[in-house]
Amino acid sequence: MSRAAHGRARGWARLAVAAVVLLLMMLPVIWLVSLSFKPPREWLATPPSLIPRNPTVDNYVVLVAPGIPKGTIGEVVGAAQPVTRAFVNSVIVVPLATLASLGVGFLGAYGISRFRVGGNFLPFSVLATRMFPPIAFAVPLLVYYRSAGLIDTRLGLILMYTAFTLAFSLWLLKGFIDGVPRHIEEAAILDGASRWRVLFTITLPLVRGGLAATGLFVFIMNWTEFLFALIFTSRTALTVPVQISQYASAVGRFYGPQAALGLVASVPVLVAGYVIQRYLVRAFTFGLVK
Amino acid sequence: MSRGDPLIRLEGVGKTFDDGTVAVKDLDLEIEEDAFVCFLGPSGCGKTTTLRLIAGLENPTTGEVFLRGRRITDWPPQRRGVGLVFQNYALFQHMTVRSNLAFGLEVRGTPRREVARRVQDMAARLDLEEVLGVRASRLDLSTMQRVAVGRTLVAEPNVLLLDEPLNNFQAGLREQMRAQLKSWQQQFGRATIYVTHDQEEAMTLGDRIVVMRDGEVEQEGPPEQVYGRPETLFVAGFIGLPPMNLLPARLDGSTGRVSLADASLELEAGTKERPSGDVVVGVRPEHLLPVEGEVDGRPRLRGVIDLVRPMAAKTIVDVRLEGGTTVRALTRGIVRGEPGEPVTLAFDPMAVVLFDRSTGLRID
Amino acid sequence: MGGLGGVLGLRGGNRPPRGLRHQLIYDDRWFQQLMVLPMQLIIWAVLVVPLLIALYLSFVDWQPISGLEWWQAPFAGIENYRRAILDPRFQSAIVRTVIFVGAVVSVEFLLGLALAVLFNRKFPARRALSSLLLFPMMLPWVVVGLIFFLVFLEKGPVNYLLRVGFGPAASVDWFGRPLLALFTIGLGDVWQWTPFMFLVIYSALAAVPPEPVEAARTLGASDWQIFRRVTLPSIKPVILIALLIRALEAFKIFDLVFIMTGGGPGTSTESVSLYLYRTGFVFGQLSFASAAAILLLALVLVVSWLGLRPLRRELEL
Repeated sequence: MSRAAHGRARGWARLAVAAVVLLLMMLPVIWLVSLSFKPPREWLATPPSLIPRNPTVDNYVVLVAPGIPKGTIGEVVGAAQPVTRAFVNSVIVVPLATLASLGVGFLGAYGISRFRVGGNFLPFSVLATRMFPPIAFAVPLLVYYRSAGLIDTRLGLILMYTAFTLAFSLWLLKGFIDGVPRHIEEAAILDGASRWRVLFTITLPLVRGGLAATGLFVFIMNWTEFLFALIFTSRTALTVPVQISQYASAVGRFYGPQAALGLVASVPVLVAGYVIQRYLVRAFTFGLVK
Repeated sequence: MSRGDPLIRLEGVGKTFDDGTVAVKDLDLEIEEDAFVCFLGPSGCGKTTTLRLIAGLENPTTGEVFLRGRRITDWPPQRRGVGLVFQNYALFQHMTVRSNLAFGLEVRGTPRREVARRVQDMAARLDLEEVLGVRASRLDLSTMQRVAVGRTLVAEPNVLLLDEPLNNFQAGLREQMRAQLKSWQQQFGRATIYVTHDQEEAMTLGDRIVVMRDGEVEQEGPPEQVYGRPETLFVAGFIGLPPMNLLPARLDGSTGRVSLADASLELEAGTKERPSGDVVVGVRPEHLLPVEGEVDGRPRLRGVIDLVRPMAAKTIVDVRLEGGTTVRALTRGIVRGEPGEPVTLAFDPMAVVLFDRSTGLRID
Repeated sequence: MGGLGGVLGLRGGNRPPRGLRHQLIYDDRWFQQLMVLPMQLIIWAVLVVPLLIALYLSFVDWQPISGLEWWQAPFAGIENYRRAILDPRFQSAIVRTVIFVGAVVSVEFLLGLALAVLFNRKFPARRALSSLLLFPMMLPWVVVGLIFFLVFLEKGPVNYLLRVGFGPAASVDWFGRPLLALFTIGLGDVWQWTPFMFLVIYSALAAVPPEPVEAARTLGASDWQIFRRVTLPSIKPVILIALLIRALEAFKIFDLVFIMTGGGPGTSTESVSLYLYRTGFVFGQLSFASAAAILLLALVLVVSWLGLRPLRRELEL
């Protein structure tokens, strides 16, 4: 009995350590949340307080309606531009690019998983797009995009994001398809079903969960992408991360709206990440670790 | 540590897991030095848990464990010096055979030279010299098994525990490995506890068999005793291939007569008076002989043949008795017979075991 | 047997020629090629052709500002490479990034390992806490940059705590001094990616079969010996993969630096990616940037090949 009690005490000790670590880790985010509800006077107030003394939602309001005339906040952030355009862009570009990446990745993954088309070379060359710093691809792509008129367009971003998340779609879906026993498909083929029919009515439904998880992960990757968006968009097609950087590097020090924007921008990916947490190891390691 | 103490003694040991499953109930058991004991029972009977309790991998919820008279109930496995060979061998996959063999010595701080000598020696005895440099993950099953046994033996354990070590082998290979195990045990002379659900294995290997069921010991004793004089209905039905025929009957206590559906038999003279009641008559299939006519005064059962299964040197005949129950007879050689043919089975009253139907215990 | 001949109706004789439609639906070889076609196109479009263009650009002298189209630019030989290799800013960006990667990845590994070991035994609320632990790695990099920028502001909460703890002079200008600025960026990276290391190691530990560990216990190994000699080696391949992926990823670092310091003060926190971004896209020296990018690709290729070697040995043996 004393042994069991001993074990329980150890369990509580572990819990205590874990809780402290977690609290330390959360502090910066808690600060961000707190900042986003503070009026300008409190942004840099000494002593700082974790709980806003005069809580306000102005920092959020100003994101969509800048330059509200009255009160201190309007004066401080008068220069800020609305973030609606960036959000509209992200909301259009990211899901479309994600779907495109999934589609291409699924077909490729099926071909590679079932027929080993392209041997080892093809799947690993896709992996290479993730191995090298993306900036190295940016210069030649700029050349393309200039002649194709794709600079600062949503289509341009969609194409780019499709390509650069393909490595995830392909490798993750390949892992899921590998898990579908071949003989299920073979049985359907013996019954006279065509390859396409088998693909869409047998295999696809069987990897639905994997497809969803992969899609959410690719969504996260696309939503948070910054470098390409920074280089290839400026005014019309800018995305949320670029908007954040513009806020952050703007001359006016409007920390409150910055914090608010950062939080709002993080919500979709946090939700997606929470849903697929079971698959995260797999996703971040291209399915090499399951 | 007095001289007469057994190697291992379990006293009222019980184990209930966190989820409420009772694996072992109030177990009393003694294992002598140099014994080869088989724990036999259907899966889930608690035999593996008992092994793990002895090894210290589980802590009993009640009772005490003793090693040569010393109470070791709270000792961690590291201190016990008990060698356990796992069902899947649990080799260190990332290590070579040599490192696997050396592990137990190295962690105890044995001098390097001594480790090398003993590993070499063990490898020679188990015919592992050629694979010493091979990674464990690349071995075949029987080599894995030898490494697993060698890894435990090299550390010179007080007792060797084997958890269904032949489970992964095919039938033919199993018999070969069984012989091998027996010879190792004789060669290394360690007390061995061997867990199995295979009665043939237990019969051929064990000096003693402990039959377990639902976390309790049903019977323990030498193989011939467990086979010949089963103490409970469960043991009678579990041991033997095919198992003992169990026929419901009535015992007339005053006359000592047992009446079966079809035959009645006198109990041995000199049996003391017993209360009358429902009993079960147990007859081993090999004691049931198909006979022609009325040859002698032995009790007999009449019925029709249900199924004849020739098995090379012997034949199993299923006979449906007039009362409706089916019995099995095991005869030598090949017996011909068509289903539906009437047949008479004779048996020796001396070879019969009686059980009390309500308690399931044997009546002497 | 289908293939091109079938499509063109060249196959002789008795059997009726099979139509293209039939081929596409039933012929495996057509089907197979169609499956990977979109993927192939993408690979050509974003990997092969761009690399060729970059290679070409690296040997000419093209600056969009000159008004010439890129194919009209004059040949420059290895001049761009010479300049890149000799550019002290490029050199120090590489060295700085490599050291940065080594430092943050080691710290992330050690912290992640410690956390994984902590979480490897049951304790109350373990599941909830472990999934809470993962959220930083989902955040957009720019947001992480923003958070650490705001927290380490000169009048921010960290400096306030320092002043409270160590007196009014303890306030630090985190982004004003090169090493401190790098340290702060590193802190952001560690904060965001330690959860990744934790998660990988934690799930690897959970997948270690219990029997070898129990076997080691019966053989007399202490908990520490078991951890060092049985548990850790059995998850070594997973750890190597995680380290390699994390290192390659950290080497790309751009967003954090861009948001937090913009490479400053001066160029003292410039990462390789930021350096290339500036030379190529801010200063428009695209040829020079191409040469530097090619050099960078070569470097990454060599390093990851070296990194893969122990992994391959681990997985093949």
